[in-house]
Amino acid sequence: MMNTPQQVKNPSSSLKSRFITRFLGALTKITAEDPISSSSPTRIFQRYRRIKVASNKSMAYSVRSRRIWSRAMLSRFRSRRSAFSGRRSSVKTTNCTTSPPPALIKVTINEKKTAKGGLDMQTDELRELVPGGEAMDVCNLLDETAHYIKCLTTQVQVMRKIVDFYHLSK
Amino acid sequence: MQPCSREMQAMNSLLSPTQQIPLQDLQPNGNSGTHQAQIHNPQFDPTSSHDDFLDQMLSTLPSCSWSDLKSPWDPPKSDETPPSNHDNNVGFHYDEILASKLRQHQINGGGGGTTAAMKMMMQQQMMLPGRPIAAAGGGGLTMPLHNDIVDGSSFKSPNQQGGEGSVQALYNGFGAGSLHGTNNQSPNQPQHFHHPQGGNMQTQSFGATAGTVMNQSQASGSTTGGAPAQPKQRVRARRGQATDPHSIAERLRRERIAERMKALQELVPNANKTDKASMLDEIIDYVKFLQLQVKVLSMSRLGGAAAVAPLVADMPSEGGDCVQTTAGGGGSLQRNSNGNQPSANNDSLTVTEHQVAKLMEEDMGSAMQYLQGKGLCLMPISLATAISTATCHSRNPMINKGSSSNHPLLQSNGDGPSSPSMSVLTVQSATMGNGGLDGSAKDAASVSKP
Repeated sequence: MMNTPQQVKNPSSSLKSRFITRFLGALTKITAEDPISSSSPTRIFQRYRRIKVASNKSMAYSVRSRRIWSRAMLSRFRSRRSAFSGRRSSVKTTNCTTSPPPALIKVTINEKKTAKGGLDMQTDELRELVPGGEAMDVCNLLDETAHYIKCLTTQVQVMRKIVDFYHLSK
Repeated sequence: MQPCSREMQAMNSLLSPTQQIPLQDLQPNGNSGTHQAQIHNPQFDPTSSHDDFLDQMLSTLPSCSWSDLKSPWDPPKSDETPPSNHDNNVGFHYDEILASKLRQHQINGGGGGTTAAMKMMMQQQMMLPGRPIAAAGGGGLTMPLHNDIVDGSSFKSPNQQGGEGSVQALYNGFGAGSLHGTNNQSPNQPQHFHHPQGGNMQTQSFGATAGTVMNQSQASGSTTGGAPAQPKQRVRARRGQATDPHSIAERLRRERIAERMKALQELVPNANKTDKASMLDEIIDYVKFLQLQVKVLSMSRLGGAAAVAPLVADMPSEGGDCVQTTAGGGGSLQRNSNGNQPSANNDSLTVTEHQVAKLMEEDMGSAMQYLQGKGLCLMPISLATAISTATCHSRNPMINKGSSSNHPLLQSNGDGPSSPSMSVLTVQSATMGNGGLDGSAKDAASVSKP
């Protein structure tokens, strides 16, 4: 599948290593707060949610703002966090995630109109999957999708290794 | 009116008395082509070196004035005297002489004139003042002159200059119309014209137009068609390319998209689809699958021990279903173990889960098959909830509580007789649920009965 698990940008701090560092940190924090032994389903589910979010967040942070999808994801997290904390986050949300520059919107619309008829549906679906995909034209969308897939694969790989390690150590 | 009068005079002075041409008769217009008085061509050296020699000479010339030169004179080869159809300008006798000589040379191969001499003469001609065409046409025109001079040895350089001037005068008038002249010539001559022209054109680009024209004429055998066709050829785009900026932009965009698709193809497994739509489908499925995997793994990381016993329902559902229902966490993965594994062995389930996760990475289909082999399947929580409520089994409602559903479902699944019914129900509700959850028909079709 993925031939190069590491991004070759900077061998010393590749995407994978950055993600691993962050994610393990978050994971240890979560396990510290929420011991595994607590079997309350709610807790467990919450924990699951937290881990998932931590995983996605770690990846998004590792990518920083280099990608549109990571930027969208980060803004989503921030708005969500601020929403949780009760602060007014609607403005933030709208600004960051749903208000692309008018030019981009126009481009998107035009793209949809001129794109081959049958591909519009799939393009829209892809937009929903990839964070921040609504505001991208098809070209960028495909680009972002490629990077997003790469990052997701890295995420899955790392998590699986951790799970294996956990499993073995138990 | 006659910028070439100087040259004419010089020419005249050198010409034989019979060839004295009244200067006033000189007309530097297109009529020059028509001027063909009797020409004394005392110095004709018919040789038979033919076209190769001419090509040699012509290749060194920077112009295609050949045609121009040729066009006004279309006396037959054998004829040494130019036809009298160009009687307008008597003063151009020597021009005609030169032209005919040139023709003769062409026809006969031009003898053994040295290219060096030609070049020299060409340069001389080029240096003639006030002739922008000289550079372009003069070279070509002078070539024949040089031929004549070298071979004939009757003309001295001033003659050449004069001749060149007159020829230039002729040439001035020619322009594009001179090309037409070639058509008028006898069939023999066009060959010569075209041949050297072709040689010229290939090496030169006389205004870049004549060259193409010449080539065309060579191909088509007619130079007239060349001139008008030239602009058309220029403007008309090559097949597959457009000159319209919009279409160019469109093409660029399409190319970029194709590039991205190719890059994606490498990332996504099962990327052997050539169809764009199916490729996109594949990509979408893969993204969904990866997101699902993250969820699964984050679930399993919850200690991998007793905390979460993965539940697998009977319905093999595409990963998309689960993802669709999550919408931020609503649908965690549930696995209900079936009768095959009566005891909810967490470890084995975890192992199974890992196996499934591994398989899912490679191929969703094989993962599903693996699950099915074990009597397991994936199912979204909402669906499981619906099933649990629909089957009227007393169990805790499974509302986004991953583990809580374990026990009730396990209990229910532990019943042998109930499991088939539940499985059936699962399939049915799955079908309905699929329709409700995900409008795509393919998912519904993917539901398989255990």
